[in-house]
Amino acid sequence: MTAKLPKRAIRSRTFALIAGVVAVLAIALLTFNVSREIRLLGSARSDNVQWSLVQTQVEFLEFQKQVDRTPVDLAQLRQEFDVFFSRVTTVKQATVFEGLRANATSKGYLDRIVAFLDDAVVLIDAPDDQLIAQLPQLSALTDEAASDVRALGNSGLELFAQTADAQRQAVARTLTQLAIAIAALIGVLTLAILYLNRLNVKIYRRERENNQTTTRMATVMSTSLDGVIVCDAHGNILEFSPAAEGIFGHSEAEVLGKDIGSVIVPDHMRDAHDAGMERMRDKGEKRVVGKGRVQLEAKHRDGRIFPVELAIQSATTDQGEVFIAFLRDISLRVAAEAELVSARDKALAGEKLKTDFLSTMSHEIRTPLNGLLGNMNLLRDTELSQNQDRYLGHMETSGRLLMSHISDVLDITRYDAGKLNTRSETVNISELLQDIIDNQGGTAAENETSLAWNWRGEAIDWVLSDHDRLQHVMMNLIGNAVKFTRRGSVHVTIENLGTPDAAELMVKITDTGPGMSEGLAKRVFDDFVTGNTSYDRDVGGTGLGLSIAKRFVTALGGKIGVDSSVGKGSTFWVSLPVETADAPAQSQTGIAHQQDSKPLNILLVEDNEINRIVAREMLEADGHTVSEAHDGQQGVDVANTRSFDLILMDISMPVMDGRTATRAIRSGGGASADKPIVALTANAMLEEQKEFLEDGMNDILTKPLSRDSLRALLRQTSGTAPGLGPSNHINAAHIAETRDALGEETFAKLKARFVTEVDELHAWFMSPDAQDFLEIAARSHKVAGSASVFGADHLRESLKSIEAAAKLGDTTAINATIQDCMHTWRKTKKDLVQN
Amino acid sequence: MLMQFVHVSLGAVLAVGLSQSAMAQDSASTLLTISGEITLPSGDDTLSLDLDALMDLPVSTFETSTIWTDGVHSFTGVSLADLAEELGIEDGQFIATAINDYAVEIPLSDAVEGGPIIAYLMDGEEMTVRDKGPLWVIYPYDSDAEYRSEVVYSRSIWQLDRLEAVQ
Repeated sequence: MTAKLPKRAIRSRTFALIAGVVAVLAIALLTFNVSREIRLLGSARSDNVQWSLVQTQVEFLEFQKQVDRTPVDLAQLRQEFDVFFSRVTTVKQATVFEGLRANATSKGYLDRIVAFLDDAVVLIDAPDDQLIAQLPQLSALTDEAASDVRALGNSGLELFAQTADAQRQAVARTLTQLAIAIAALIGVLTLAILYLNRLNVKIYRRERENNQTTTRMATVMSTSLDGVIVCDAHGNILEFSPAAEGIFGHSEAEVLGKDIGSVIVPDHMRDAHDAGMERMRDKGEKRVVGKGRVQLEAKHRDGRIFPVELAIQSATTDQGEVFIAFLRDISLRVAAEAELVSARDKALAGEKLKTDFLSTMSHEIRTPLNGLLGNMNLLRDTELSQNQDRYLGHMETSGRLLMSHISDVLDITRYDAGKLNTRSETVNISELLQDIIDNQGGTAAENETSLAWNWRGEAIDWVLSDHDRLQHVMMNLIGNAVKFTRRGSVHVTIENLGTPDAAELMVKITDTGPGMSEGLAKRVFDDFVTGNTSYDRDVGGTGLGLSIAKRFVTALGGKIGVDSSVGKGSTFWVSLPVETADAPAQSQTGIAHQQDSKPLNILLVEDNEINRIVAREMLEADGHTVSEAHDGQQGVDVANTRSFDLILMDISMPVMDGRTATRAIRSGGGASADKPIVALTANAMLEEQKEFLEDGMNDILTKPLSRDSLRALLRQTSGTAPGLGPSNHINAAHIAETRDALGEETFAKLKARFVTEVDELHAWFMSPDAQDFLEIAARSHKVAGSASVFGADHLRESLKSIEAAAKLGDTTAINATIQDCMHTWRKTKKDLVQN
Repeated sequence: MLMQFVHVSLGAVLAVGLSQSAMAQDSASTLLTISGEITLPSGDDTLSLDLDALMDLPVSTFETSTIWTDGVHSFTGVSLADLAEELGIEDGQFIATAINDYAVEIPLSDAVEGGPIIAYLMDGEEMTVRDKGPLWVIYPYDSDAEYRSEVVYSRSIWQLDRLEAVQ
């Protein structure tokens, strides 16, 4: 990294350079000036003026000597005169004598000498004889002039001495100035040197800092476990750290200057990478840079693609914008994650397999058990000896016990598979407890144990809860208490610990039985835990009862626990949050109990011969007519040709299973297409039950068939089946299933929407918009679909009639069916609101 | 070599011519006597030149001011360079002497093209002794500051009448 000097330093350096050049130039100029000055001082100002003045006297004397010479040499005399004349002319004219001439005294002498010359020249230029004759006169003139010539020389000397003095002073002044200038220059240079020195120190220090920073950075880069790659805006690699070398398999030397895209970006991501780089160059748009950690794929030198996690930041340097990427090979992490996911999936799959296995096993056990119990049921109708009757009783007890064990296992399976759904229905909690107390009364009496229950505080009869689950739990707890207590008491109290609106029921079952050790009390709700062996012999049990009770209570949102001490008895408690509810209208149950079912024409589709025989016997014993089909296909064929009041459909069958057969019957449009179809199954899983309903089944009957359950169903069917004098417009079983499937809240919402939907349809029927037959048909069809969901079978039939009439374009029929439909809807709506 | 021969021959011819011309004149009309280490075809060691002989030599004219006269004047004469060439002198110096026996040394290095001349005309007129004539060594003072030095001024001898070439 090359640190550029700041602008200030550049300015200073330039300044120093310029100052240096100026200094050199100034010195050169001054040196030249001084040398010139000295030279001029020596020579240029003047000729050797003093010598010239002296020469004036010399030449005058030479002339005077010739004048006084005897005998006279005229030629020589004239020449000396001319020489002197020439000299004086020079003094008179030459610029160098200007100073002399400016001096008044000197000028006086000079003028007198000139005057002498003017006089003398007349004599000199005269012919030889005249000159000779006038020599004495000339001599006199010359003698007269001698003093002037001398005086001129002296005055000149004095004058030029002054001038020289002035010149010397001028030179001295110039030299002083020069000295000052040089001193100043030296000062400036010294300052410049000091400044440069300071600058130098600063630069040195900065360079050292830079070096340290660079070293530190290099160390950071080389020791970073993450790979560090630096590249410029064009993607050319500028640095490639040792960790990056390890990650990508390239050495720094071989990738420097190369395009990063070609080095580490996998081929299938190249286009996106290049586009990204271009976007960044053109528009400065950054999608990855500065966005924190990103997970991407990268390419190893050997072509292997592996996942990396990277973070990119940009920085502005002298080389322009650079990008620093920190990369980490996360192959191991990704592999570990994948392994975890796969392990989890496997575990889930195993769990599902277990559930499926249990479900299948329960079915496989239930089917033959169904046969056994069914036949025992039939056996009861025959004449039996006393012993036979007792044996049959034992067989039935064993069979039911076995059945309850299978149910226990199934309940646990459902709960653990998360498939245990609870209902929210109005339950009379007092009635429920009273029933159980009544039920257990016999056993308690046998054990010589008193059994009683009571409310503490204000009683709440009606609450929203799951009747069956709650009954199961209470039965289990109270049954256990009664079972284990001999010659003691079992007392049940129930109390509302919450507010009247948000009730928190606390049920306590206190017995004076043997109690439990602390250790057992802790484990008592775990699976397969039983008390001591001798008691087990006495009371039996799978050890699943309490664990199932705990699961149910938990599913209902409550808590269960036990306080117990050995020899003193136990107190089991259940704490349960419930909503209080109003007492429901009493009508339906009462009627259902009293009403005997009418003889029905029933189709039984079942492959298992024993089950078939049992069911037929039971149904025929109640006066119903039974037709049989041995597999799904046969069932469909028969149902299409004949109209039955009810179809009982087994699920698992050869050729065609019950679900497929149901769909075929519903969609086939045959004689029994609209008749109730009830599933017969040992597969009691709730999820599957929902699917059955979706297939078009109206209800589900769990095997083994019992007279009671079959009769209950038939009573319901005879009450809702079309053409049998319906008093109820809603199929109660059906709507109950829907409610189960949807949950209370969603059900309420959908019910309200359904009511609105039908109301709107009727409003539309009455409006002048309802002209298009196809639209009438389409709308009727749609609402008919909703009606079936809520078990509004009459309404559905009615709507289907409208649809049919509309498709035919029969206006009279349409109007009639619409009237009929509105009538039906008024009744249906009333019933629906009650549900 | 050939050039040198031609040169010398021309010089000799001229010198002889000059010499003849000088000899034909009255010795009183001699303006300049050249002596010293010069080689003359006649074998004499002295060369006397009158005005005409000087004027026959290559003529140089320039204008300059001087420190002794007022204003700029035109001077015409024979350049020292031409004269030295005529005399076949290549180094050494002239000792120039005036009629009042004032003498200066003029090194031959001064005898360059565009350098000093022995002027016989000032402003196209002959000069009398009173006007520093008849011969005056004039440097082109205005053309070069080097010529405006005391040394050069001292070499600017007037009323010249003798030249002696010495090594």
